[in-house]
Amino acid sequence: MKKNIKIALAQIRSKRENKKANLQKIEEFTLKAKNQGANLVIFPELSLTGYVLHDQVYELAEEIPGPSIKRVEDLAKRTGMLIVFGMPELSEKTKATIFNTAVIVGPNGLIGKYRKRYLPTHSVFEEKRYFRQGYQTAVFKTSIGNLGLLICYDIFFPEICRLTRLKGAELIVCISASPAVRRRYFEILTAARALENTAFLAYVNLAGVEDGLHFWGGSRLVGPTGDLLVKAKYDEEDLVVCEIDYTDMRSAEIFVPMLRDLRPELFEELKKNSEKL
Amino acid sequence: MWTLLKLTPSVLELDLFEVEKRIKCFIKEYVENAGVEGIVLGLSGGIDSATTAAVSSLAIGGKNVTGLILPEKETYNSKDIEDAKLIAEKFGLKTQMCDITPVLEGFYKTIPIFDQVDKLSKGNVKARTRMIYLYYYANKRKKIVCGSSDKSETMMGYFTKWGDVAADISPLMDLYKTQVRKLAVHIGIPPKLAAKPSTPSLWPNQLAETELGIKYEALDLILYGLERFMTPEEIAQQMNFEKTFIEKIKSRWLSVEHKRRLPLTPKLEYRTVGTDFRLPRQKY
Repeated sequence: MKKNIKIALAQIRSKRENKKANLQKIEEFTLKAKNQGANLVIFPELSLTGYVLHDQVYELAEEIPGPSIKRVEDLAKRTGMLIVFGMPELSEKTKATIFNTAVIVGPNGLIGKYRKRYLPTHSVFEEKRYFRQGYQTAVFKTSIGNLGLLICYDIFFPEICRLTRLKGAELIVCISASPAVRRRYFEILTAARALENTAFLAYVNLAGVEDGLHFWGGSRLVGPTGDLLVKAKYDEEDLVVCEIDYTDMRSAEIFVPMLRDLRPELFEELKKNSEKL
Repeated sequence: MWTLLKLTPSVLELDLFEVEKRIKCFIKEYVENAGVEGIVLGLSGGIDSATTAAVSSLAIGGKNVTGLILPEKETYNSKDIEDAKLIAEKFGLKTQMCDITPVLEGFYKTIPIFDQVDKLSKGNVKARTRMIYLYYYANKRKKIVCGSSDKSETMMGYFTKWGDVAADISPLMDLYKTQVRKLAVHIGIPPKLAAKPSTPSLWPNQLAETELGIKYEALDLILYGLERFMTPEEIAQQMNFEKTFIEKIKSRWLSVEHKRRLPLTPKLEYRTVGTDFRLPRQKY
């Protein structure tokens, strides 16, 4: 596996309902990331279409593989990069069942996808109205190590990150469309999830305003001790690149051995009690 | 267990730098996406419109903001006009003054059932007439209308339906009145103007706090508690009010939802405007 892994966090402002413009931006930021030596570039949740879509999501969702995936596959092939981005995915088996999906594409094509498991439907969020929840945990073996994928609200539930870690994820990638009123929560949770799993965590958020929702940016890479390694600007578009070394996970795991000390019997108890809530 | 919120003035404190930044960003992005040439707003000389004018000018530049000063003879107040001009000068926005008295008199004369004594119905004609002037300027100058309603008034329904609340965007609508005052001072509005008693100016000597029957400092805390699902009993206990008084405020808040929404329509078809026809408000 490759040493000296460079991760690029591409904190873009999507142009809502304009896949063509957003694919152009994905290309532009991927090229910039490549110029800075990055191996992986990560874009935010629903970055292909923008986040506030309401009923328009039915017009914008695409199957995977589909035309937009093809464009990103071509880009990955041309640049030799790994690319993660978010899009509304139309189920190939139905006519109008949609998932909020993170996709990972590499120089050899589509590597995999993750369908968001926790769909926020409260406050300003109405995701359950439009999306079906996912059921699979996603960890993919890539040229830069094992990558786990999750999306935004998933990070509030420690079991998602924990599962990716138990399945071997070294870098947990969380793509997001988080409005500014939630900034504090994400700043706490990104550090906590990296620390409690002694893994690297890349968090990439949207920037800009969509229908009054102000996305706060602040994308970051957190190390296995919860340390902030790099942070993008608040509120604005930004691209930051950071080098990581998985050997750091070893000393972190020895210092506070949370994975060694896991108690599986508690999960059974958790299950029983959450069913009774 | 749910811990009770403590309704002290500190709960209304905000990170004013952050609030200013977000409001400016909101205005700027909306104007850019709308592809218009700026903002028109009513400039009464009161705190809400002064703050809206100031923050709009800071967001998109004063030269792109037009403040309309729209006095009429019954509520004419030279101090308000002076304050409106002071804000315009300080934040570099353009103003135009239009005396709406002749138009109002036209309405009074031509509405067969017009009643001079019914000051509320008459006052609402003034607010709606100002709306017509603002939208005329917006159409003619390719601008959007920026409203200045705050959260206290909006929750209480203390505004004229399709009148002063009519706008394309309302950047201050998620801030209580006392928070608007703090933001005003933060962005450079003279404290004296920020502390000025509020009036909708629908008739002479009308004062918001007198009509609402409570000071904004207390009202805002009550509304803050209601917003966070506190019961009237909990609020009354903490704030030393009668429970019935808090219930009245809650009842008023809930009974005026019709003023804050599109008109209700019966559900007849596949997707219905205002209910399940859900589209982004702004096309990019």
